Amino acid sequence: MDELEKLYQTTYGAVVRFLYRKVWDADRAEDLAQEVFMRLFQHRPEKPRAWVFAVAANLARDEARAAIRRRKHLTLMTNDPGQAPSRIAAADEIVEHDEQMAAVQEALGTLTHRDQEVLLLWDAGLSYPEIARQTGLAVGAVGTTLARARRRLVDAYDRQHLDDSRGHAAHS
Amino acid sequence: MIREAMRHIPEEELHAYLDQALSRTQCVEIESHLAACDRCRLERDAIASLRDRTTALLATLAPRRRIGPSFELLSERAAARSARRAGRLRAAAWAASVLLAIGIGWGARAIEFQGAGPAEAAPIAARSEDPAVEGPLRDSSAAGIELAAEAPAEPAVDRAAAPRSRSAPAPAPRQATGNAREAPPLASSPAGRPALSEPSATMTSSGQLPSESFNVATGTLFRTVSWDRARFERGESVPRIAGLPVVEVQLAGSRGDDSRPLMVVAQQLESGQVIRTIEGPATDVNQLLASQRPDASSPWPTIGDDGIAGADGAMAVRRGDRILAITAPLPSDSLRAMIRRLNASERQGGESGQ
Repeated sequence: MDELEKLYQTTYGAVVRFLYRKVWDADRAEDLAQEVFMRLFQHRPEKPRAWVFAVAANLARDEARAAIRRRKHLTLMTNDPGQAPSRIAAADEIVEHDEQMAAVQEALGTLTHRDQEVLLLWDAGLSYPEIARQTGLAVGAVGTTLARARRRLVDAYDRQHLDDSRGHAAHS
Repeated sequence: MIREAMRHIPEEELHAYLDQALSRTQCVEIESHLAACDRCRLERDAIASLRDRTTALLATLAPRRRIGPSFELLSERAAARSARRAGRLRAAAWAASVLLAIGIGWGARAIEFQGAGPAEAAPIAARSEDPAVEGPLRDSSAAGIELAAEAPAEPAVDRAAAPRSRSAPAPAPRQATGNAREAPPLASSPAGRPALSEPSATMTSSGQLPSESFNVATGTLFRTVSWDRARFERGESVPRIAGLPVVEVQLAGSRGDDSRPLMVVAQQLESGQVIRTIEGPATDVNQLLASQRPDASSPWPTIGDDGIAGADGAMAVRRGDRILAITAPLPSDSLRAMIRRLNASERQGGESGQ
């Protein structure tokens, strides 16, 4: 089996998840993941796995910028400064997920961009040196960042859960 | 690093340890410390559970698992895209050489193309492209090349008369006309009429592109004008291929706005075949090109914004609202090879001071 084919079979799911956690749209995440792999097949870089996630991160960033532009446009169109379309769009999306998912998503949102990036790259299976290269951190700083990111994610989630249980006494 | 039990293992090092991101030596140090230190063992367990919880939480953030496209499908799509890209690059290189050959009148943006031109054009011998050229067209291509490179008798006069600078005037009308007379008769050229010797404009109703079946679907009226008239109307920006005698210049009627009207400059290869350079407002050129290819099987594509298009018989490049096109009864490869050779000989001529 071709090296790239093997990588595709083993990494496609991780790339979709990585992208999904950035764009929060399953279809879009798949589209972008396929774009990533098509570019991989065209370019055939030396370190394909790290390359794949670097490109995925770039595409997700472009996507986020485009989303901000769309939101600005939408805001102009609705002509209602009191209404933040981004919140509504986000809420619409969230309805589709189950409650826990929404809670984790929100918890993840409390992390800084760098902490999120390192955490998601780790979860996608990248090594410390690979994460360091992609984020520009020193390899030694990856552990520190991951330690902080993990703590903050769990803390934010638990805090939210606590608020929830106060709100709904019957909540399990 | 960890020499005594008094110094406990920092949190981030335990993370790195559990993430298997430490060297063998570091692991040994940590493990020997853990064996002796209850507090660090508890800390390690806490971090391990934090780590597991993080992984579990993130695991919820996944779209429903769907099966991606097969590797084969995706690589095919990638390959198709690479091929399209390569085609665009070839077209861009072609456009570069056309702009190099035609030179002036296409503004500053044409200049950025020129960088790509010479590299593409220079080392390629037309012979290497010959297999792509079929039958009689091979001859015509070669003839065009010889005309440019070898400069035989009559065109040599033209070439001598016309300095190689792109801003130079085209060959003198009389010489060009003489050349046209000696050449085999052209269906697309007014038979025997000295096209450029009459100073006054004559009206013709046809764009007279190389295709004999050209029809006037555009409804545009063309005037055949003299070279002087063309230069008077368009100054230095008469579109043409340097190094080839001009046999006819046609000018479309003004559209009533400020834009320069469409202009068709016919130039002749020694073989008698006519190459026409068309420059004008995008819509007009698109219409003209479309009307030139009446067969629906291979319609000329409409050239979009800043697009480049090429097919057998014609090539075009668009800049903003204007299009520059070249048509010739040659397959695109021959046309391209010919342009390359003209470029190369122009450069050679310039370098040797001929």
